[in-house]
Amino acid sequence: MDEQLNQAAANILVVDDTPANLRLLVGILTEQGYTVRPARDGFQALSIAQGIPLDLILLDIQMPQIDGYEVCSKLKADERTRHIPVIFISALSDVFDKVKAFGVGGVDYITKPFQVEEVLARVETHLALQYLQKSLRAKNEDLGKTNEQLATTLQQLKATQDELIQSEKMAALGQLIAGVAHEINTPLGAIRSSAGSISKFLGQTLEKLPDLFQSLSREEAHNFLALLQQSLQGESTFSAKEERQFKRALIRQLEEKGIENADIFADTLIDMGIYHEIGPFLSLLKRPDSKHLLEIAYKLSGLHRGTQTINLATERASKVVFALKTYARYDQSGEMVLANLAEGIETVLTLYQNQLKNSVNVVRNYTELPPLLCYPDELNQVWTNIIHNALQAMNYEGTLIIDIAQQDQQAYISITDSGQGIPEYIQSKIFEPFFTTKPSGEGSGLGLDIVKKIIDKHRGRVEVTSIPGKTTFTVSLPINIKEETQ
Amino acid sequence: MSKPVILCVDDEKVVLKSLKTQLKEAFGDAYFYELAEDADEALELIHEVWEDESSIILIVSDWLMPGMKGDEFLTRVHKEFPSIIKIMLTGQADELAIERAKEQANLHQCLYKPWSEEELVATIKSGLAQR
Repeated sequence: MDEQLNQAAANILVVDDTPANLRLLVGILTEQGYTVRPARDGFQALSIAQGIPLDLILLDIQMPQIDGYEVCSKLKADERTRHIPVIFISALSDVFDKVKAFGVGGVDYITKPFQVEEVLARVETHLALQYLQKSLRAKNEDLGKTNEQLATTLQQLKATQDELIQSEKMAALGQLIAGVAHEINTPLGAIRSSAGSISKFLGQTLEKLPDLFQSLSREEAHNFLALLQQSLQGESTFSAKEERQFKRALIRQLEEKGIENADIFADTLIDMGIYHEIGPFLSLLKRPDSKHLLEIAYKLSGLHRGTQTINLATERASKVVFALKTYARYDQSGEMVLANLAEGIETVLTLYQNQLKNSVNVVRNYTELPPLLCYPDELNQVWTNIIHNALQAMNYEGTLIIDIAQQDQQAYISITDSGQGIPEYIQSKIFEPFFTTKPSGEGSGLGLDIVKKIIDKHRGRVEVTSIPGKTTFTVSLPINIKEETQ
Repeated sequence: MSKPVILCVDDEKVVLKSLKTQLKEAFGDAYFYELAEDADEALELIHEVWEDESSIILIVSDWLMPGMKGDEFLTRVHKEFPSIIKIMLTGQADELAIERAKEQANLHQCLYKPWSEEELVATIKSGLAQR
């Protein structure tokens, strides 16, 4: 035996209705160091076996009232005593049914008269077996517990992973917040300002209108209205610089026509969105009350400008809020939904708008894709992480190219930046968790690991090719078009 | 042109237009109002005006702009034209940047978007009073 058998502590029950046999066996076994209990009949044996832990039972077969086979059956039928090995004691002279003995659950037998060594050897063997079985049972139980713990830990790990992804998202969001606050406060400023102007202008002009039209001839009134019309129709899509050029030209024009205060008039006309073709209005400008007239025209048209500004600004702010909401949303359902990939990318670009404006040239090559079955919130995280890396690599200056293409049943989304590139020896590592080239504290290094995990979840692939000046991340996703069957 | 100029700098046209409308309303013909959409254009404009023998007396500038940020812009202006009153109007506060502008550009005041017309006008008046 390899195991350390604590035989001294083994509890053995000896059952025999013949006192002499009982004494003999008890004696032999006790001498070996076992703890031995005697029983004179089957009922006593059962009672003892149910009451105390036993490691072995030596059971006489020929007993009055209840024989050994029956006792053994009863022992095996009871959960408490089922595991105790039973060795039958039979007399040579008895008809010993070996098959029945093993059939009722006995593990061995000894025949009287017995050899002491033989008895001891068998006892030792079965005790060892019993011990091993006990050991095995205990170990199995432990294994079962360990499995349960592992399953729980796995659950926790999955939950943690989800949390990490969400917190990465929030961290990236935190970095965007500053820009986003600006993106919302700016339109709000324009709205507030315009609302104020509208209210002021209305108050100032309303009461002056009757007198104004009374003082104008029909033709002049017609010109005045035409001036207003032109202002209302004008859409100022010119840059400040371009408007300055128009102004200079307008000043010259007015001065040529001998109009005083040409600079002030020109400034007001430009503000009204009138850049040239002022021929019809020259007569108005030559009147002695020209300043007054122009001011009213400016304020009246200002009502329209104010409203336009408010509309534009509101749309801008809504777009940003929507993008924010979309981005921060955490879909708990865990189910794939149909989504438009281009919309997702545009949402991300909206949030980065402030950092892209003017210094990053964004080129979009989108081909029409059918709606894709995916986790749109997680894909947004993918675009964010890749675009964020791209912008950082270019130092927020350069060209960002986004391609959407389809081949067979795969969608291909490529994001290319004009940054310094990823050295070849790093390229294979960038998707590893916690790998980062940024200084400590600036990046968790999980961005691309998360990207990879999300793309894996979609059964897609993500690849990178890079040379200095051109780095491209390509994500391919299967287009699982689910056919709705009713 | 000897009328003094107030310059507004912001990458958002709607803000520039709104500011001009408000300033024109508050100060009328006392000043000319010029607009620039980024720091570089603003610097160019400042020199143009200077060459035209006119002068910019006050600048209202955004902070978060593409390219040069507002604090850097105002600091540059301060080096060449220390007498120009500088006001920052920002949609997002970077505390450090505002501190820098106060120290290195002698920033008169920083206002936040959405701004109130009254506060803007009062700030400009107080700034101009210091000249």
